[in-house]
Amino acid sequence: MFSKLRQLALDYGTVVALLLMCVILSILTLKDQPQKDESAAERFGKRIARRYDKGDLVLIVVGDSAEDRAFEARLRETLQAAQLKVETVVGAPSDARNKLVDLQASEAPLKMIAANYRTVSWLLFSDLATDFPRLKEVKVEAPPAYRWPTFLKASNLLNVANQIAVIAIIAVGMTIVIITGGIDLSVGSLIALSSVVAAYYIREYGGGYEANVTQLCIGSFLGILVCALIGAFSGAMVIGMDIPPFIVTLAMMMVAKGMAFIVADNESIPEVADRFTWLGREASFGLPNAVLLMLGTYFVAHVTLSRTVLGRHIYAVGDNQQAAWLSGIRVRRVLMFTYIVCGMLAGVGGIVVASTHKSGDPNYGVMYELYVIAAVVVGGTSLSGGRGTILGTLVGALIIGVINNGMNLLKIDAFVQNVILGLVILGSVMLDKLKGGPIK
Amino acid sequence: MNRLSLFIAFLTLAALGCNSSSTTESNGGGGKASARGTIGVSLLTLQNPFFQVIADNITTEAAKHGYDVIVHSADEDVVKQDKHVQDFIVDEAVAIVLSPCKAKAIGPTIEAANNAGIPLFTVDIPCRLDNVEIVSQIASDNYGGGVQAAEGMIRALGEAGGKVAILHFAQAESCQLRVEGFQDGIKQHNESQVGGQIEIVSIQEGGGAKDRGLKATEDLLQSNPDIVGIFAINDPSVLGALAALEKANKSDQVVLIGFDGQPDAKQAIKEGKVFGDPVQFPDKMGVEVVKAIIAHLKGEEVPAENLIPTEFYDQAAASADPNLP
Repeated sequence: MFSKLRQLALDYGTVVALLLMCVILSILTLKDQPQKDESAAERFGKRIARRYDKGDLVLIVVGDSAEDRAFEARLRETLQAAQLKVETVVGAPSDARNKLVDLQASEAPLKMIAANYRTVSWLLFSDLATDFPRLKEVKVEAPPAYRWPTFLKASNLLNVANQIAVIAIIAVGMTIVIITGGIDLSVGSLIALSSVVAAYYIREYGGGYEANVTQLCIGSFLGILVCALIGAFSGAMVIGMDIPPFIVTLAMMMVAKGMAFIVADNESIPEVADRFTWLGREASFGLPNAVLLMLGTYFVAHVTLSRTVLGRHIYAVGDNQQAAWLSGIRVRRVLMFTYIVCGMLAGVGGIVVASTHKSGDPNYGVMYELYVIAAVVVGGTSLSGGRGTILGTLVGALIIGVINNGMNLLKIDAFVQNVILGLVILGSVMLDKLKGGPIK
Repeated sequence: MNRLSLFIAFLTLAALGCNSSSTTESNGGGGKASARGTIGVSLLTLQNPFFQVIADNITTEAAKHGYDVIVHSADEDVVKQDKHVQDFIVDEAVAIVLSPCKAKAIGPTIEAANNAGIPLFTVDIPCRLDNVEIVSQIASDNYGGGVQAAEGMIRALGEAGGKVAILHFAQAESCQLRVEGFQDGIKQHNESQVGGQIEIVSIQEGGGAKDRGLKATEDLLQSNPDIVGIFAINDPSVLGALAALEKANKSDQVVLIGFDGQPDAKQAIKEGKVFGDPVQFPDKMGVEVVKAIIAHLKGEEVPAENLIPTEFYDQAAASADPNLP
């Protein structure tokens, strides 16, 4: 019984750790959350309407954002339906102050100020009695808050997914390279290279700020293509010259970084059209596009690795190259494939970063190779090859993302964060060792 | 079985570790503090003491008004800074303070904060983009500091005047302003005086760092052996220049002026090796940015730009400085 439990804990150790972490973070980040959607505005409006008589004046104060405007519109409708008089301020605290100055001067009997979670905390309202003696009876209220963990808010979970998208996408390529017993240190530099190649093409040949969708796609494609070619070159060096992958890709890391600086002339390239941010900043079907891309990549990679002949070959090459060769697997072709895919996916990651920041920059991607390798290792892929899964890598990337996000939400000091992250990586490798039998 | 319990113990420890650190954090913030809300701060890098001073002053000043502060170090990585801002938005910060890592690539990040309706402020490094909304930008008066550096140079060279050079760090806007101020200060002096004319013979790239400042100065001494003064746009490069001069045995023939007022440069000023520094006040910047946030939330008009004047720090100031040994 106990040994079964133990086996279960070991097999799904990383998933258990992830869930445990989510539970802990949920408990620790439990706090009052504001109600800010339109239905909250309607409930709030009805409650106000019950309290005041027809013709009473209510001032709505909200900030200048799409969410606030929607809140204001629904609240105003509700109050007007109850035949209250409504005035509105949409904007900064100074706009609200000007409005209060007017109201203080006029004879209009203001009954209450209906705010939202953000505007209710404006210091303007805490000094209401001293600054506006005639308005000192006026109540300032927002919809009541409810208890919910910040970590579990939909916006935060999407935020975590969005933040790990780039690392997770590249980690797919890294996983298959590591399964074959190799490693690719050049991915961080390839992010930079891909972003500047794409941005350079768009600036020089695609019309810069005026570029159309086709040109943006061609630029992105070129960025990815260059990275795939560099991956192919690394692969050729590893296979043809029999140089250790660590050395080859270390060299390519420097080469790619240097090339990125040369292409960009040591500056960022921001001359791209606004709609370039579609991939990195916008959402479809309620999910950020980068996250959709990540999910798609994982689906394809998971099916390829677990359900196809090619996938089986990749594992075989990683487990025992000699045996794989003897059983007729084209070992070189398989290795080549893995390096090209890894380079290509690093290129895709670079396009996502460039899109998020609407510019290419040779300084992107610093240290990313290490985060990516960390995600792969935490996900249970063995650095000695032959073992690992795509879904494990996804869990690994999620663990790293959740830890980073959780520590930020808990306001843990930046340097302590590094220490914790390092210990987690170490801990997960310990777990991997436990699975593989006695520690030697 | 032994190893499993070890693993469980590890996880429990990790959980406890998270738990205890977070509770100390919220206690440190003060009980009533969290009632008012949180100010999110993402600075260029906390490895530079300059930004640490800004961060500490923001935290203490904000605590006086009942606000919590989260400070993150972006480590000069705009991607990291973007993540910080996204976390601030999720956490519903009342205000965000940035010292942007990239002049242009920070644009979409600031737009995201604008769309979320969170007021945004910059400290030390201004952002010059058109399509973003920044409530107030707090920075040193770098142009004025450059003029002060020129005045120091004029004072040091006196009647003799002579040839001077500049060690630049051209990619930083703040340094461009410093050099502009210096050039204008020198130009004005030359136009108003007949004697003691000063000629700027060379502007070298000093990289803003000790090693590159040293190399640039060595090259400078080869091409202009008769140079009498060097203005370096920050302290690391002025210390690099000093090293080059000492190597060439010329430290008593060339007047050095730096910028910033970091401790080792102040020490060199006290020892008379560097003539003086226009010093910046990161502590004032931290306080001013919180004042701007408070004023904004009170509904007062906040100036779009707030330049903190620098002060010229020379040997007299250094010998009166209680912080120097």
